[in-house]
Amino acid sequence: MHRYIVWPAVALALALAIYVAEPYVVTQRAAAGGPGGLAGQPAPIFDLRDDRGRSVSLRAYRGSLVVMNLWASWCPPCRAEMPDLQRLSQAEAGRGIKVVGVNEGESPQRARAFADSLGIRFPIWVDGGQQYGRTYNALGLPTTVILDREGVVIRAFDGPLTLDEMRAAVAAVRVR
Amino acid sequence: MIWFLSTALIVTVGVVVETWLPGRPAYHAGWYNIALTALAIVVVVNGRKQWKARTRTSRLAIFAVAFGAAAAGLAGVTNGLFAPDNRDVVGAPGERVRVEELGTLSFPLAGEDRTAPVVVTLERALHAPLEIGARARTAGSFILRAVPRDVVDVEVRDLLGNALTVTQPNGGVFLSPVLLMQARQTIDGMNLPFDSFNVPAARRVVKAILFSPAEAAVVLHGPSAPGQAAVLFAVDDESERPLPHAIALSAAGAAVHAGDLWLRGEVTSYPMIEVISIPNTVVVTIGALLVLGGVLGLGVRRRSS
Repeated sequence: MHRYIVWPAVALALALAIYVAEPYVVTQRAAAGGPGGLAGQPAPIFDLRDDRGRSVSLRAYRGSLVVMNLWASWCPPCRAEMPDLQRLSQAEAGRGIKVVGVNEGESPQRARAFADSLGIRFPIWVDGGQQYGRTYNALGLPTTVILDREGVVIRAFDGPLTLDEMRAAVAAVRVR
Repeated sequence: MIWFLSTALIVTVGVVVETWLPGRPAYHAGWYNIALTALAIVVVVNGRKQWKARTRTSRLAIFAVAFGAAAAGLAGVTNGLFAPDNRDVVGAPGERVRVEELGTLSFPLAGEDRTAPVVVTLERALHAPLEIGARARTAGSFILRAVPRDVVDVEVRDLLGNALTVTQPNGGVFLSPVLLMQARQTIDGMNLPFDSFNVPAARRVVKAILFSPAEAAVVLHGPSAPGQAAVLFAVDDESERPLPHAIALSAAGAAVHAGDLWLRGEVTSYPMIEVISIPNTVVVTIGALLVLGGVLGLGVRRRSS
């Protein structure tokens, strides 16, 4: 009887020791830092206004692939990237791809003046509370986030992209 | 028999107390863990001695007591030796902070209703998200508690009234206008929380020092409203050289002019998460129940014989 209980007890004790010690020796998988950390998760939706004061929301973009670019007028790489975003917007408009520029923290007047100076035609939203910049964990500006038709974050990029990089990123999402 | 049951109860009660009154430094002390380990070994050795010349029911009760006490002791010692000390996890609204051994704490953006409680969420692999709001929550071998602390929500405008982007190159979230005020500085004998942020469009670096209502009432003069916290702004150029007329006090969320900027600092409450390790609650509960059941079984057996 004794030996029939000793070995199961030892095995049980070992299993218990592993179970109890597990949280301290097995570390949780780290979420990716920066804007890429939200990949695979639904994009947060904030009710904003555009540079002309109209209410706007990502909800209206369900069913389209969305290229969301966070920018500010004081940021030289944002200025350099804008014409390529405009070209992408024009080239892909008929293929269900929408480009949205989200100004981080500035006034609508400044955002509109900046967009007008560069001949930008795609929608410019104004995120006064810098909410998208915060929830996407932007490491700097510009930050570009690509959402699928269900509003899920597919990819995110820190820093400016060339037109070819934008096209490649959009093509990769389109074939999914 | 009395020694066996006494040591088993001491071990079990000790670990139960460790679970109910968590976070005491003594639990991580060497003497405590050596004592707990020694007592658990005594229980097991005594259990083996008691095993002989017993009925089957008594043996089962002895096994329950010995195993339960050893399991509880193991949970207690593991917590004492391996678990980290208490930690305060401070996150900015919108930030996701990874906590070793635990998972990722997601700090939400504050809603428009500032009086609504902020609920921080713990995300872990293979577990449903755990919301940490007004009451403490248990996650495996940890207790998580939301503790309110003061943060400063800043708003910056140029002299024409245009809003300007606020960045925190040294903060947890680059594009956050919420200052967590984690650094401290001594001014006039008072140890005050401070933080800094950049206004890239204006090429300014701004330092913000937080005065509690009591400190503001005692030390500051002029615009400080009684009973209100205040924020002192000091504006430097982008090379962090002080500018003339660049220090101003914002009390009760009022906008002030300094260094060619309009600055407003609203002091609000936002939770940090206190992480306290405890012995594994499942193991402690099962261990305590086994000890209790075993003690009762032996008592009934003794009375009937």
